[in-house]
Amino acid sequence: MSVALGNTAPGAEIRLAVRGLRMRYPNGKLALDGVDLTVRAGELVTILGSNGSGKTTLLRCVARLLDPTDGEVRVGGQDLAKLNGAALREARLALAMVFQRANLVRRRSVLANVVGGTLGRNRTWWTALGGLPADELPLALELLRKVGVEQLGHQRADTLSGGQAQRAAIARALAQRPKLILADEPVASLDPEAAEEIMRLLRQLAADSGLAVLCVLHQPMLAVRYSHRVVGLRDGVVAFDLPAELCAEHAIALLYRDLAA
Amino acid sequence: MSVDGTALDIVPRSARSEAGNVARPIGGLGRRLVVVLIALIAAAVIAQSFYVVQARPEDLITGAHGMADLLSRALPPAWSEFGEILWPTLETVDLAIFGTVFGVLMALPLAVLAAGNVTPARPLYYLARGIIALTRAVPDLVWALLFVTAVGLGPFPGALALSVHSIGMLGRLFSEVIEDMDFGPVEALTLTGASRLQVFTHAVVPGVLPSLLGIGLYRFDENLRSSLVLGFVGAGGLGFQLLTAMNLFQYQTVSLLLIATFVLVMAAERGSALLRRQVA
Repeated sequence: MSVALGNTAPGAEIRLAVRGLRMRYPNGKLALDGVDLTVRAGELVTILGSNGSGKTTLLRCVARLLDPTDGEVRVGGQDLAKLNGAALREARLALAMVFQRANLVRRRSVLANVVGGTLGRNRTWWTALGGLPADELPLALELLRKVGVEQLGHQRADTLSGGQAQRAAIARALAQRPKLILADEPVASLDPEAAEEIMRLLRQLAADSGLAVLCVLHQPMLAVRYSHRVVGLRDGVVAFDLPAELCAEHAIALLYRDLAA
Repeated sequence: MSVDGTALDIVPRSARSEAGNVARPIGGLGRRLVVVLIALIAAAVIAQSFYVVQARPEDLITGAHGMADLLSRALPPAWSEFGEILWPTLETVDLAIFGTVFGVLMALPLAVLAAGNVTPARPLYYLARGIIALTRAVPDLVWALLFVTAVGLGPFPGALALSVHSIGMLGRLFSEVIEDMDFGPVEALTLTGASRLQVFTHAVVPGVLPSLLGIGLYRFDENLRSSLVLGFVGAGGLGFQLLTAMNLFQYQTVSLLLIATFVLVMAAERGSALLRRQVA
């Protein structure tokens, strides 16, 4: 299958700039050791690496689900690594995350889950008490249409297939109107066909909406086919950062050398 | 599997010693000896319990005559007194309702504080755990005795006793449900920039509510049984009527009260099971 990659303009706005990011866990393990990374508007960048190479840690540090030990995570000009409390909540509006297991609220409808993505800009007493902002419903419906599951809006989230749930999770991320989407192994639990569809959708969002997408994958083929750039992570260090078309097979194989040994 | 496909290595590295040997489980004879040892210990524990409780199976045979006599005096039940037991029956049900509702209302905030994954501060965590442990460790019968002494006879001390004991029982179960919940939706909504309260009401509450409702209904069932016993220490309801009838040797009244108790307990059990299925 051929995919029109297109090129991002070299001068496009930088949406994520990671500089010298280090992360040491309380048990002493150094998971990230001076990672530098940039993602521009309209660009889909994929991180590859073996288990334990630091991919998910990197994404969680960027989202500040983990507190990095050192370094900068600049999103929209602000260093997320230095923020806390209300300032961090405000800065997080610019980034959204798509998780491996979709992480939808299982007992709520798909529509309610998508509207959940707008809570950050609707901090009212009504929403604090569990209510949904009614004026965001048209947006949620439009986004469900955009990701191709508009007919499932009133279904409970726990009735969706893996691919449908991941599409709903992407719609929730888009409802946030982010500038950057982080996707942590979004196709790990999907069959090959659904995996291709999700990657195509992420790619299309980057191209059409000018979103910056940073994606962690375990499938080198998908990474090369759908990404603009591929970043190889090995033992918490960036081993390579190449345009997808220049990403040679042997470079990827090096990332998994221990597994092959 | 190695990449060149020459060897299918199914033993994980962690299972090998440094010398390259595969770790071996306990052998067949050793395993049998362990099983025999455990069986002997179990037999000794059961035997000592027979000795300590002075179990005399022959007394069951000699006591059968007395039981038959009691049964003959208890039948037929005093149906004519049906109207008089309606109020104590309502008292018993209301004791359970009061105890469960106030137990739930008090246990919920304590459970949030006592759940390691959502507690806002460590000192509050330990304080909540302490309150839960104290209210749970003291049996409801003891709480009833204390409240009867404090506020006098009647259903109110019983209701208070059930409430306080329920705080402990529910608080612990609720906090375990919160600690075991799927944290994925919480992370997802946190990243939308939602406030802590929004994350709680939109991710935590929908995630744990069915389990909490199920536990609450089960607690009502338990409280109903307990409220019958609490009547024995002066906390009103059917239990108090039962004690009075026994003391006055009114065995036909006793049998009527036992039938009422049976119907009540069965109805509550079936009702709460039905509701639990609905919220699952």
